[in-house]
Amino acid sequence: MSTSILEFKGVAKRYTLRQESAPVNGLLARLRSKPVEYFWALRDINFSVQAGQALGIIGHNGAGKSTLLKILSGITSPTEGIISLRGRMAGLLEVGSGFHPELTGRENIFLSGTILGMRRSEIHRKLEEIVDFAEIRPFIDIPVKRYSSGMYVRLGFSIAVHQQLDILLLDEVLAVGDHAFQRKCIERVQVLKNSGVTILFISHDLKAVEQTCARVLLLDKGRIIYDGLPSEAIQAYQRSRGSHFGVRRTQGPPPVEVQRVAFLTEQNQHTDHGTTGEPLHVELLFHAHAPMDNLAFHLLFYGPDGNLATDLNTRTELLSVPEGTAAIRFVCDPLCLPLGLYQVDTIIERVGASDPVEHVLGCAHLPVLSPQPVQGSFQQPCSWRLEQQ
Amino acid sequence: MQIAKMNSPPPLSAPRTIQPPSFSPSRLLSQFWRLTEYWDLLLTLSLHRIRIRYKQSLLGGAWAVFQPLSLMIIYTIIFSKVARMPSEGAPYAIFVYVAMLPWNFFAASLTSASNSLVSHNTLITKVYFPWEVLPLSYLVATSIDFLIGVLVLIPLFVWFQMGVTLHVLWVIPLMALAAAFVFSLSMILATIQVYFRDIGLALPLLLQLWMFASPVVYPLSAVPERFQAWFVLNPMAGIVDGVRRCVLHGASPDFHSLRISLLTVLLLLPVAYGFFKHKEASMADVI
Repeated sequence: MSTSILEFKGVAKRYTLRQESAPVNGLLARLRSKPVEYFWALRDINFSVQAGQALGIIGHNGAGKSTLLKILSGITSPTEGIISLRGRMAGLLEVGSGFHPELTGRENIFLSGTILGMRRSEIHRKLEEIVDFAEIRPFIDIPVKRYSSGMYVRLGFSIAVHQQLDILLLDEVLAVGDHAFQRKCIERVQVLKNSGVTILFISHDLKAVEQTCARVLLLDKGRIIYDGLPSEAIQAYQRSRGSHFGVRRTQGPPPVEVQRVAFLTEQNQHTDHGTTGEPLHVELLFHAHAPMDNLAFHLLFYGPDGNLATDLNTRTELLSVPEGTAAIRFVCDPLCLPLGLYQVDTIIERVGASDPVEHVLGCAHLPVLSPQPVQGSFQQPCSWRLEQQ
Repeated sequence: MQIAKMNSPPPLSAPRTIQPPSFSPSRLLSQFWRLTEYWDLLLTLSLHRIRIRYKQSLLGGAWAVFQPLSLMIIYTIIFSKVARMPSEGAPYAIFVYVAMLPWNFFAASLTSASNSLVSHNTLITKVYFPWEVLPLSYLVATSIDFLIGVLVLIPLFVWFQMGVTLHVLWVIPLMALAAAFVFSLSMILATIQVYFRDIGLALPLLLQLWMFASPVVYPLSAVPERFQAWFVLNPMAGIVDGVRRCVLHGASPDFHSLRISLLTVLLLLPVAYGFFKHKEASMADVI
């Protein structure tokens, strides 16, 4: 008998893509059998997990991470293949799913808990622990619709990690709450892992994956392209994103057109990544089809959690550009962003106009490496000295 | 760490498998059996349904009494005073009220249960449990309204100076039959509604017609002889008439029409459950 607690054998999932039609024509369109298109969200997935292991699953949007978790938790069924597993499994695809806004925190603990498969007796036993972990004791008997979003996710997470189980599925759920609570969540996951719970952890948050998992699967276009050490998987993940050009949001040809965003070292060498605490130059190449004045250029860096991490811009001084090609170089010395993959959007705005002149999403992607792990949201450069009083 | 391990129930028992949907009777039966593991969920969901329904309403639970009573008064005015409907010797108010109990249970639970999947679409795409628990929980919640309606019947009986016989116990199997019928129908309708929202729009109209095709505001005996054979093909006809016979007349139900109702439900239930489980596998992709 193998010791694996969970095993995927040749699992694949195919979705049918249907064209959306107007409601009136809906039935007719479906009866008139149009050629259907298929999309394989997962293909040929094979892996097994040992009891007590924490497995991270990473990949770009659309790589199949969530489909994998949905199949595992039973929300949708695989098209091919077989998964065998032992013990009790519960999934948390979104914190607070199953909460009813009108019910109190206490009532929702029972609702959400039983939805996750807990017995009422088990919830009664764990109630105090759940409330304390979520830090919502004073609010336990008021409806959750009056909760702050932080309280909401804390309660949701707390319910999920206080049940008796053998396999725990976590999807992006550690990216919730404030930093203190995130650390608490990761500690809790560690405790569960040490007590023998197998954990499947899906996230964009590479830092959390690295901290939690000893093994990481990298998914790309529905296939496993790497299975092994977290550091290797994260590097492969960051490389796989290349620097393909993004999506233009403006209507029609922009009068000032972004051509490229490039990253350079201090020595003017092109680079494909940045390092926290070291200098990085970002070059924005653009072409103006006609002379233009009152311009401000923005480079927006979106972090792994999808939030704006920083905005490099020229707003301090409005620029006038002649017709032709030019570049703006932003010098970050040092780079303060922590570990992660950042998406760079470009906006060129004309001060006084309501719409931007140019707006491109995902002009570039910047992987940032951190030799020392960054605590908190960014690395504040500072010097220090010891002073005798 | 050691303690945590000892506390856990003997884990890693028999391996389970997740695979492409198959619909062998044995698999369906085992899924049906697994439903018992979700008893606590059903209980919690049903309790909350009742709580939510009357939260932030002024009269609260009084609505469960007020609603059938006001309908009773309206029907009595229309069908007894205006239309002179026969009522088999009983006061018309109580005659129609007794039939409205099973009918309202049927109509209300079918409406809410058929809507249950669509109204929980965010849940269905996020977490799995046997989703038939959702329609079931509405069924349980509506049963509470039925029980409240029954309690109201007691003062009505006292008021009209009427009595009951032991035959009144027939209500229990009759209502169980009605519940099984609603459960089967709602599994089909709720599933179809995931794909075509027309169900939610058509159902109120359909139920209105259905009520007048069932002996609620008139006695079964008022239906012309030549139509009666067709008439009792409607399972609700046998159930509503049966409840009225055993509560109002202290008699046993009409076994002929009841047999038809029972047979329909026995055939429908496995078909509906199989259909539901078949579609459940891909429901989250569509909803």
